[in-house]
Amino acid sequence: MAMPAARKMTSLESIYLVELFKGLALTMGHVVKNLFDQNRFVTIEYPDVRKTMAERYRGAHRLLLRPDGKVKCVACMCCPTICPAKCITIIAGEAPDDPAEKFPVEFDIDMLRCIFCGFCVEACPKDAIRMDTRIYEVNAYTRQALIHNKTYMVNLMDGIKPPAEEFYRLNPESAPAGFVSSPSASGAP
Amino acid sequence: MPKVKINDIEVEVPAGTNMIEAAAVAGVDIPHYCYHPNLSVAGNCRMCLVDIVGGRAPEIACNMQARDGLAIRTDTPAVKKMRQSVMEFMLVNHPLDCPICDQSGECRLQDYYMEHGDYDSRGVEEKVSKKKRQDIGDKIVLDAERCVECSRCVRFGDEVTGTGDLRLMNRGDHTEIGMFPGERLQHHYQGNLADICPVGALTNRDFRFQRRVWYLKQTASICSGCATGCNIQVCHQEGEVFRYLPRRNDAVNKSWMCDEGREQVAGISGLKRILRSRVDGKTVDTEAALIALAARLKSATHVGVVLGSQATNEANWALLQTVRKNLKSARIFVTAGNDPGSFEYADKLLVDTDKNPNSAGVDLLAAFDGQVESWEAFGSAVADLDLLLVLEDDVVGRLAGRRTAAAIAYLGVSRNATSEAGSIVVPVCHPVEMDGSYVNRQGRVQRIRRAVNAAGDALPAWLIVDRLGAKLGVAPGTGMVAAAFNSMARAVPQMRGLEFKTLSEAGQQLIVETAPVAPTEATV
Ligand code: SF4
Ligand code: SF4
Ligand code: SF4
Ligand code: SF4
Ligand code: FES
Repeated sequence: MAMPAARKMTSLESIYLVELFKGLALTMGHVVKNLFDQNRFVTIEYPDVRKTMAERYRGAHRLLLRPDGKVKCVACMCCPTICPAKCITIIAGEAPDDPAEKFPVEFDIDMLRCIFCGFCVEACPKDAIRMDTRIYEVNAYTRQALIHNKTYMVNLMDGIKPPAEEFYRLNPESAPAGFVSSPSASGAP
Repeated sequence: MPKVKINDIEVEVPAGTNMIEAAAVAGVDIPHYCYHPNLSVAGNCRMCLVDIVGGRAPEIACNMQARDGLAIRTDTPAVKKMRQSVMEFMLVNHPLDCPICDQSGECRLQDYYMEHGDYDSRGVEEKVSKKKRQDIGDKIVLDAERCVECSRCVRFGDEVTGTGDLRLMNRGDHTEIGMFPGERLQHHYQGNLADICPVGALTNRDFRFQRRVWYLKQTASICSGCATGCNIQVCHQEGEVFRYLPRRNDAVNKSWMCDEGREQVAGISGLKRILRSRVDGKTVDTEAALIALAARLKSATHVGVVLGSQATNEANWALLQTVRKNLKSARIFVTAGNDPGSFEYADKLLVDTDKNPNSAGVDLLAAFDGQVESWEAFGSAVADLDLLLVLEDDVVGRLAGRRTAAAIAYLGVSRNATSEAGSIVVPVCHPVEMDGSYVNRQGRVQRIRRAVNAAGDALPAWLIVDRLGAKLGVAPGTGMVAAAFNSMARAVPQMRGLEFKTLSEAGQQLIVETAPVAPTEATV
């Protein structure tokens, strides 16, 4: 696939300073606007106020299910192969009664390493993995809680976010190996 | 030799050379499914159609033999169109199984589609469905839908194993590969079916879903299952070996290897591996074990040393040198027979009754030394020995309950009767973890190559012996594996002229005509 060639800069753009002042002017514009009309703030008061991300926002991954309730993923290994961060670990297994024959026994994504490039979604021949949850807060108190595993990713839905840490605490049987629920994770700051 | 032209590139090949092979010599790849260099020509896939310069119609290259003046072209529009049409025809009923198919990544349909197919699908008809995931043998899973009816597997059964088990049945687009009802594959070469099948119709059960093939690295080596010494590729990823594949060598194993050979993979990281050195039941580091061993060898009066028919030439050479230079009164023996627990099967095709990969190498060195004693002599002498040093072979197991030496030191790969009886045990690398050479039953020197890192504290046997030698006084002077081989090759007349480096660089084994040496003749 050919990449579109980068647009050439105009001579005005290449004199750096002009663009710099344009940027400053925009910022100053907002400052002035905010001074007179406080209802039209561009910034929001996160985390009390949260933004609804655009439809196509690339958030945390989820795994899709077939109508019969099994994961769509057949452990073809296309996504771990394409993943530039090498953060997807899949262990494939044989599904004896399923015509799909192959399924992921384990499917982990190490969110600490993921760079949200979306290649895994592009590569998937089964439309089994999507990044359409619009979840942008991927954070936890421990590293283990940032390994999103199969059970967790099947449970993720658009905009609804049980943080992985909480999910693993409530479902210890599906938590990744080595996961310990830290005291601070249970609410106390 | 006749001169032939492929796309105007002239090459000289022996008369009768298949034109697919001749083209390969010229650097031209002629795509093919049914042709296999070690099977008869069937000419049924039509993928290899080429134009003959001055000829009337295209012909299949696999059924064309090199003759003087023959000129073919593979780059004409007609050839391109033919390849594309053949691909389209083959894929008409082919399922979209790539995501779950183990052949993916080494599949001729995938590769040739990208190279020669690349058409817009005109498929409107329902695909013919056939039986999937069939259990046709202990080692093979058959998916009839994926078959391209090349008949390679049929010919393998007819010509190589002589079992005639797989058959193409019915006609037209209902042609289906299968077994006779109620029958299963019985032979010991099933794994080869998965190798020769150009698509994913026949896949290997042991390797099934284990790893995608594009992750695997390959290292050319030798199977250590028996004295045949089949040439193999060790397929591994990140220090783990996943499968052995046969490597073509028409002088040894053609393109085949036995299933028992493939099963050796399980032993590499198996639970039976010895990982740490042990002295009198206590785990120690290898250095301490070797110091203890050297001290005991020096103080013992009756020392026996057994060369290992499973160890490399380099290890045996180092051991021979170390003992002769440092322990003048020690007696050296060779072993015979097989370790208890090694597989029983043997046949005329490949699998030898001798399950040791380097018996011929040990015999060669024993004959060179002249003083090495036979297994029979060992049987009567062993009970009087104070200390017995064993290299790899399970000597205690082979003695089958007869009285053994007062104390045993064992340098070995896996736990067995000898390691259990051993007061000093030092872990040795598995053949996939080190470099070295074997001599097979034909007297062919073949290189094994290190594919993965050693498990635990294991070291190559020649290195252990080298260090032991230094502690005994005179090291055998085999500081590197190549030095060990080269000093051996300089000394042993049958190996004269061989060099470790050239053995490895060629990627093919050099032939050394070893004078037929029988250990008993040389030593009694
Ligand atoms: S978004 Fe990119 S980095 Fe993250 S898992 Fe997918 S392929 Fe890997
Ligand atoms: S690419 Fe899709 S089907 Fe393949 S392993 Fe990844 S999620 Fe599963
Ligand atoms: S099963 Fe494989 S080897 Fe046998 S005929 Fe079909 S494609 Fe050829
Ligand atoms: S015949 Fe012998 S050397 Fe060949 S694969 Fe089998 S065990 Fe290995
Ligand atoms: S390879 Fe020539 S017809 Fe199949």
